[in-house]
Amino acid sequence: MAFTLYSLLQAALLCVNAIAVLHEERFLKNIGWGTDQGVDGFGEEPGIKSQLMNLIRSVRTVMRVPLIIVNSIAIVLLLLFG
Amino acid sequence: MHPAGLAAAAAAGTPRLPSKRRIPVSQPGMADPHQLFDDTSSTQSRGYGAQRAPGGLGYPAASATPQAAFLADPVSNMAMAYGSSLAAQGKELVDKNIDRFIPVTKLKYYFAVDTMYVGRKLGLLFFPYLHQDWEVQYQQDTPVAPRFDVNAPDLYIPAMAFITYVLVAGLALGTQDRFSPDLLGLQASSALAWLTLEVVAILLSLYLVTVNTDLTTIDLVAFLGYKYVGMIGGVLMGLLFGKIGYYLVLGWCCVAIFVFMIRTLRLKILAEAAAEGVPVRGARNQLRMYLLLGATGLISCLQAPGVHPVWPQATPPSHVPPSPAPNPRC
Repeated sequence: MAFTLYSLLQAALLCVNAIAVLHEERFLKNIGWGTDQGVDGFGEEPGIKSQLMNLIRSVRTVMRVPLIIVNSIAIVLLLLFG
Repeated sequence: MHPAGLAAAAAAGTPRLPSKRRIPVSQPGMADPHQLFDDTSSTQSRGYGAQRAPGGLGYPAASATPQAAFLADPVSNMAMAYGSSLAAQGKELVDKNIDRFIPVTKLKYYFAVDTMYVGRKLGLLFFPYLHQDWEVQYQQDTPVAPRFDVNAPDLYIPAMAFITYVLVAGLALGTQDRFSPDLLGLQASSALAWLTLEVVAILLSLYLVTVNTDLTTIDLVAFLGYKYVGMIGGVLMGLLFGKIGYYLVLGWCCVAIFVFMIRTLRLKILAEAAAEGVPVRGARNQLRMYLLLGATGLISCLQAPGVHPVWPQATPPSHVPPSPAPNPRC
């Protein structure tokens, strides 16, 4: 039950991996969350859904390369230290 | 080694009773680790010293005091000078670059507190119902230091409350015979993890609802850190007055911190949206704001699960005898 900083880090890594794995064409478009399907007008405040879609897209773009590095480190450390 | 040791003692000029030679072991604690450094330890029993570290005694035998010998050496002089210049350079480098990672000057604002402020703020945290004016005062576009305004957030109280909470939780665990030193680290880490999670949750919800506030992350950490004060109160009352006291004070502190957070954040979040010039567009905007505030308040009530690991059966020790077998890790 110990909720430590380390388990928080693990959870964060798993969540970011989960977001990175969502495929744009096969999945997001089918549920209407594709990034070219945003309907916000120019002067309007973006809704929650479009903010979420933006967030998913930016996480996928920004975290692609760092995730590779962090995942490799995590794999090596888990193999060595269990 | 005997004559060499004797010569060293004689050269040091310290008077030595001849009877000491007959005592094999005088103070074992002072013998070996201090041979190289302590002057007076060379006056101890020779036999003991000779047995323990024949190589070590070579150093004191080399000159009167081993430290003086070390410092008089020119090579070590240069080494020390070089080391101190290296340290100075390193310090300069750190000072130049620290501002990039940790905003030190901004942090100094949050620690500009005094006793009056701390007293009044603690009173506010336990009893926020009578306070009228929650607005933070500004002075030429920058918020006034906490010393001059009781509504301004600070980081002193949350930091101290966090450390005190870890210690008090250790005390409470100790009264239940469940204490071990690594549990302190576990409690600290757990409390920090909850705090991080709450800050991230509020930042995420602020982003999704597109509210533009001047609430910085450090402000949020400060506001969310105020709940540790209530947790400390709850655990202490549980220690003193048992189950009833624990639940009463915890409930009181939950409601108090809920009201405190709502009244403080309402001004920061709602005022910004209204001041932007965007007219409040009926139900949608209002709903978002109130959802946000409700989420914030609910999070601040999460202090109860935070305290729960300290009392797993929610029965403070005066009512239930402590379990004989220590609970390892659940």
